[in-house]
Amino acid sequence: MTITTTSTKKYKILDPETGALDPRIYSDETIYREEMEKVFGRSWLLIGHESLVPNPGDFFHTYMGEEPVILTRDRQGGLNAMLNVCRHRGARLTRTDDGNCASFMCVYHGWTYGLDGALEYVPGEEQAYDNKLDKTKLGLRRARVETYAGLIFATWAPDAPSLEDFLGDARWYLDTEYKRRPAGFIAYGPQKWIQPVNWKTSVDNCSDWYHVPTTHSSASNALARVMGATRYTHEWNWTVPAKHAFVNGHQIAVFETTGHEAPAEEVERLGEFRANNVAASASSIFPNTVLGMRLAIPRGPLQTEFWHFALVPADATEEEKRVLRMEHASQNGAAGTFEADDIDNWRQVSNSGATFIGAQQEQLLNMGLGNAGPHDVYPGMVTDRFVSEHNQRAFYLRYQEFMNAGSWADISLEPQTAVYEGTTAEM
Amino acid sequence: MTLFSEEQRESVQTAFLDPQSLWNDLNHFYIREAWLLDDRRFREWFALFTEDMMYFMPRRKNVPVREAHREIPPIGTDLPYYEDDRKLMEVRLQRLESGMGWAEEPPSRTRHLVGNLVIETVGEDEVVAKTGFICYRSQLEVDQSIYAGSRTDVLRREDSEWRIAHRTIVLDANVILDKNISIFF
Ligand code: FES
Ligand SMILES: [Fe+2]
Repeated sequence: MTITTTSTKKYKILDPETGALDPRIYSDETIYREEMEKVFGRSWLLIGHESLVPNPGDFFHTYMGEEPVILTRDRQGGLNAMLNVCRHRGARLTRTDDGNCASFMCVYHGWTYGLDGALEYVPGEEQAYDNKLDKTKLGLRRARVETYAGLIFATWAPDAPSLEDFLGDARWYLDTEYKRRPAGFIAYGPQKWIQPVNWKTSVDNCSDWYHVPTTHSSASNALARVMGATRYTHEWNWTVPAKHAFVNGHQIAVFETTGHEAPAEEVERLGEFRANNVAASASSIFPNTVLGMRLAIPRGPLQTEFWHFALVPADATEEEKRVLRMEHASQNGAAGTFEADDIDNWRQVSNSGATFIGAQQEQLLNMGLGNAGPHDVYPGMVTDRFVSEHNQRAFYLRYQEFMNAGSWADISLEPQTAVYEGTTAEM
Repeated sequence: MTLFSEEQRESVQTAFLDPQSLWNDLNHFYIREAWLLDDRRFREWFALFTEDMMYFMPRRKNVPVREAHREIPPIGTDLPYYEDDRKLMEVRLQRLESGMGWAEEPPSRTRHLVGNLVIETVGEDEVVAKTGFICYRSQLEVDQSIYAGSRTDVLRREDSEWRIAHRTIVLDANVILDKNISIFF
């Protein structure tokens, strides 16, 4: 049984010359349904972090788009991502958020699956099924799983490229955060809550520093006064030594830390240039991940479940970890002083094309048009201007490419040209 | 309900106060607190906390009954919703007072109903008090949500006034069905 693509419709979502964006992409039910197939059915999706399932038998319940998925660590130490839907009648195999177990028993009729999804036991195999059930063909639906620096990704698409190719040279930047220290990170959380927004708004917002001095002035000013934090003003935005880089629809904010002298160990791991000069910051991984680390899980065109984790260096002291988590909860997440002020904006952006007249008014993403291009030092498309809407354009053009593709054969990957220095060069 | 181990209980002094009058005092304290929140008198509400305050709201997970000890990750082990000391709470209040804390502009309409008070005394000037609450929040045109949960407070008496030294708020929810948590409990 195969359900194939029903639509070969070609979307024109964004005009790259003018930056005009069709606002119906947020609220239209048909478009949303198609996204579930063409974006979430195809793309690599972040589903968790290795620290959530450190030991054999550990599992973490997660989602790939709308699909409920069990992430497990099996007895051999391998990672598995399986659809949490029983092959008998479709009940869920686990209803808990995480845990450790030897197998998953469906509480409807008792079919039992192993940590790798194999169907191990069926009550009454002889008496009820006359020994005619081929258990080997009735394992849970498995997704492909690959990891990058502790981050776990999965895809349903057999024809998807490797995760390495999917990330492409975005990795050159991400390494400077996720591979800088040998101990890696621990993921705490997630907080979970539902926002009345379209999932895309929060991802495209990730590199939108233009909104920060306005949307977040209250939090930024209070943090500056009470904690001595940086005040995010327009002036700061115009002058900060930072760039944005774009690869395969992913976006990385790149802070240039020229003059910084990284410890020898970091230089060894990343090479001199990256260790000293490059610090990746808020990044978005196409389609629905913001590092690090949060997932925008679609729950309908105008509903998104947010999962907010705190990634904390594993080799930090307990006290340092605690302070990082406290700051995290204070600023980001459901009760975050920054986050709270984003949501009504995203909701209104999401709703803007849902009315008859509203649908006729395009959104305008023309800031910094023509300012991004290849760079001598930095891989991908790069814009020297920290404030621009190039990311939104890159994100929605990538989205358009996925929506218009018949298969992965129609989806482009940018050539990988970066040189990976240091001992962490391997994916 | 048991707030203390047997061992702790041995050290509990109960003789210093008439339990009924303590219960009345604290009930009044919590009713006043609820009115301060609902009347948006946040500075006065904040003054109810001690200098070394902690305002903590953990996550609440779905776990099997026999693993109930994992349901609520303890403080200092996890990413909670709130883990505010005095400074971090001060940031929240300054944000609300700025006129630009957009999540609360225009502000939420809240109604906190607090009850089911039980008290276990620890010492003459320190008690642990537990309450249940329902909080209704309405905002903008049609946004509304209902929070239910419990609060376990360590209350300390300073200058003959009760102050909240440590508050743990446990919501009766897993995925929170509200756009943001920009209100207090
Ligand atoms: S639905 Fe799972 S055993 Fe029947
Ligand atoms: Fe924001």
